[in-house]
Amino acid sequence: MERQVTIAIVEDHPVVVEGVTSWVNGDPARRIRIVQVTSDLADLGPEPDVVVLDLELGGQMITEKIPGLVAGGRRIVVFSAHVDPGIILAVLEAGAYAYVTKEEGRDHLVETIVAAAGDRPHVTRSQAQAMLADTRPGRPALSAQERQALLLWFQGMSKASVGRRMAITENTVRQYIDRARMKYAATGRPAPTKDALLARAIEDGLVHPSEVAVYTSWAFREAT
Amino acid sequence: MSSVQPSAILATRYSRALDIAVVVVVAGWDLAGAGGELLANLAGYRSAAVQVAAWLVLAAVVTAGSVLLLRGRGGRRSSWTMAALAAAISTVVAAGCPRGHMLAADWGWGIAGWIGVLVLLRRPLTEFVVFLGLEALATFAVLVRDGLTRESLAAFVTVLSASVVIQLAAALAARAVAIPARQAADLAASDAAAREQRVISARVHAARQVRWMAVRETVEPLLQDLAAGRANPADQAVRRDCAIAAARLRRLFAESDDAADPLIHELLACADVAERRGVAADLEAVGAIPAVPAGARRVLTDLAITILSAAATRARITVAAAGDGLIVSFVADCPAGAPLPSADGDIAISHQRDDDVLWVEARWNVR
Repeated sequence: MERQVTIAIVEDHPVVVEGVTSWVNGDPARRIRIVQVTSDLADLGPEPDVVVLDLELGGQMITEKIPGLVAGGRRIVVFSAHVDPGIILAVLEAGAYAYVTKEEGRDHLVETIVAAAGDRPHVTRSQAQAMLADTRPGRPALSAQERQALLLWFQGMSKASVGRRMAITENTVRQYIDRARMKYAATGRPAPTKDALLARAIEDGLVHPSEVAVYTSWAFREAT
Repeated sequence: MSSVQPSAILATRYSRALDIAVVVVVAGWDLAGAGGELLANLAGYRSAAVQVAAWLVLAAVVTAGSVLLLRGRGGRRSSWTMAALAAAISTVVAAGCPRGHMLAADWGWGIAGWIGVLVLLRRPLTEFVVFLGLEALATFAVLVRDGLTRESLAAFVTVLSASVVIQLAAALAARAVAIPARQAADLAASDAAAREQRVISARVHAARQVRWMAVRETVEPLLQDLAAGRANPADQAVRRDCAIAAARLRRLFAESDDAADPLIHELLACADVAERRGVAADLEAVGAIPAVPAGARRVLTDLAITILSAAATRARITVAAAGDGLIVSFVADCPAGAPLPSADGDIAISHQRDDDVLWVEARWNVR
């Protein structure tokens, strides 16, 4: 068995911590170990691979703290009750690995944490929704296939069903969705986490360096 | 059809004819009556220049008053400014008349009264009477200054009664004609409003009737079967029929709500019914959702009712803006369900089943 992924949960609602704990313990492969639970960002220890972060602590939105955490080398997975696409895009833009809404926790949180620990993307349905809803002038240009895969995924189909619908393999569906996510990692303000995501995506063959000339410079800077 | 137009046209026509009549009378009096009197006595005034200047000022007041009246402008302030100016000028005219022949040479008193008729036409009659009184007092004051005699007093009373009676009659007549005109206009307006109200009521009633009939077709037989014991509430099919009937009733209520986004509002109502049945239903929207006409909304919500009623434990509804239209999709665990149409009106419907999970997508385009 691979080394367990260690996580810290930053959360001020005990019931949410209990929920996350039960999902983590319910993972048959036991891939995740919780090493810290805190309601204060300042108490965060240095060791966890991934930080599961509530976006609202003590009634305050902490979106603007994310770039600082990311710059310090943290892998952030935001787990929040907020579902506004604008907030989701801002969180991804700030360098968080993924965004999981509280409704999606049961189905997606464990997989998202494991993916983040490996510097790989995991696109939740709320992230797909935010990317589809994006109308900002500088937004990444998604291909028609990428948009279609994102739309069907957002609608609630499994990736296998999306593949059948689009007459492509499930693996190709995953590639379309993840490539859309990579286009977001390649735009906006640079962050070590975005570089790591892109470096791993190039390594995995998800994107080719020549396709992503704009950001290979910093992706390689991080990878080499 | 609008309720305002016929009555407004009627009222405008009546009062416009009246206004033009008053303008013609006053302008005629100013030019011919007052102007003639002025010319005839021009040599006798203390200053001919002052008299001519006064005539020009009063002509300007008549012009301004006519324009304001015909354009429907002017309120209390502008009316009384012009009336006060006319009274002041006419007093100057009276004061400039030759002593002892004041009433014979005074062309200002008469025209000032007519200006009062013109500029106070839209004011209450009492205001006009007050104006006439003030005007007469001012003239009388000049007469007293010149030295009141029995003859001059008699002449004053004669001129006063003659001019005041004519002017008052004109003002009264104008108002008397205006009142039936306004009443006719009001009647026409209330008639039109009542007619329009009847049309609206009939349409609302017809729309309700259609919706109610649609609901009754499914709800009433179901309730009768349940009451007679023909339908067993433990039967799965009966439960699904009940769920569909409940959802249709809920939609009926939602349709009469005034929601910012009726489609989302009605789909939420459908999801609400499914949730009461224990189905975890969620609804997500993405993009700027265009307004969907009622007919297409009904097709989409019918689809929602069919699918949600067949859902076992969970259902997800999404609405996404797409080009000129929108895509409504449903993903639900439906072990079995009613057959779905492939198109309904201008809505294209596609579906796919993967084991128990049913995916349905409906596309609607603005044409």
